Amino acid sequence: MTYLVVSALLFALGAYGALTRRTAILVFLSVELMLNAANLSLITFSRLLGVLDGQVVALFVIAIAAAEVAVGLGLIIAIFRRRETTSVDELRSLRG
Amino acid sequence: MSFWEVVSAVLLLATALGVVRAQNAVHAALSLIANFLVVAAVYAGLEARFVAMTQVIVYAGAIVVLFLFVIMLLSAARSEAGPDPLPGLQPLALLGGVSLAAVLVYAVSRFQAPANPASLQGGLPQALGPLLYQPERWMYAVLLVGFLLLVATVAAMLLVEPERIAPPLSGKRPQDQQEGARP
Repeated sequence: MTYLVVSALLFALGAYGALTRRTAILVFLSVELMLNAANLSLITFSRLLGVLDGQVVALFVIAIAAAEVAVGLGLIIAIFRRRETTSVDELRSLRG
Repeated sequence: MSFWEVVSAVLLLATALGVVRAQNAVHAALSLIANFLVVAAVYAGLEARFVAMTQVIVYAGAIVVLFLFVIMLLSAARSEAGPDPLPGLQPLALLGGVSLAAVLVYAVSRFQAPANPASLQGGLPQALGPLLYQPERWMYAVLLVGFLLLVATVAAMLLVEPERIAPPLSGKRPQDQQEGARP
């Protein structure tokens, strides 16, 4: 039960970081923290309910996080090449 | 709430705070590695040993090291220095984070665990394998995730490809002209 509360707090901390960080890479790190908090709650529920499927879904989350990081870091490098910055406050050309 | 639960909870929250507050991006990434290692230990204690190993190898070993590579490649370690362009955002984000935490803690506090859960057999690969590779369980999801990883790899390669010379906007491309000139 403790870990459920911890995972909720970790998720909220990650959301706070994703909102306040100013560099795209650090926003990404906070998103990884949120994914990990979701994984922790999946594993804890799997243990509390005695069902293994939670662990399988946690493995899928890890695999999809790897794919997301590959694409996201590729995007960040491509943006840095063109704009010489990864600050999310300066990347505003799509703002209406 | 046992002693080790409290220790791991404190370690997890402290390292997570390091991830969201550290001024140096390298320190934030190292805090994330520490967080992932503590999470892997917690997984091993929750009868999820295979997921714990995967956490260490894939998350702490591959993903965060990739982050460190990119931080150093882009010299982004000190990128948070300087005045904050949006000073009004901090209290709003704090409010959002606290309310999100309140809602989530309320949601999990209503959960009633059954008295005697079934054994997970330690979460070893022998227990997870039949679930993963049975067609009526998760096999098609495994295949789809593998395909997704392939697509993501190709996309990442295309994104960071060196820029090619753009073809002219009007007129035919050179190979079209050659084909047209052929009798």
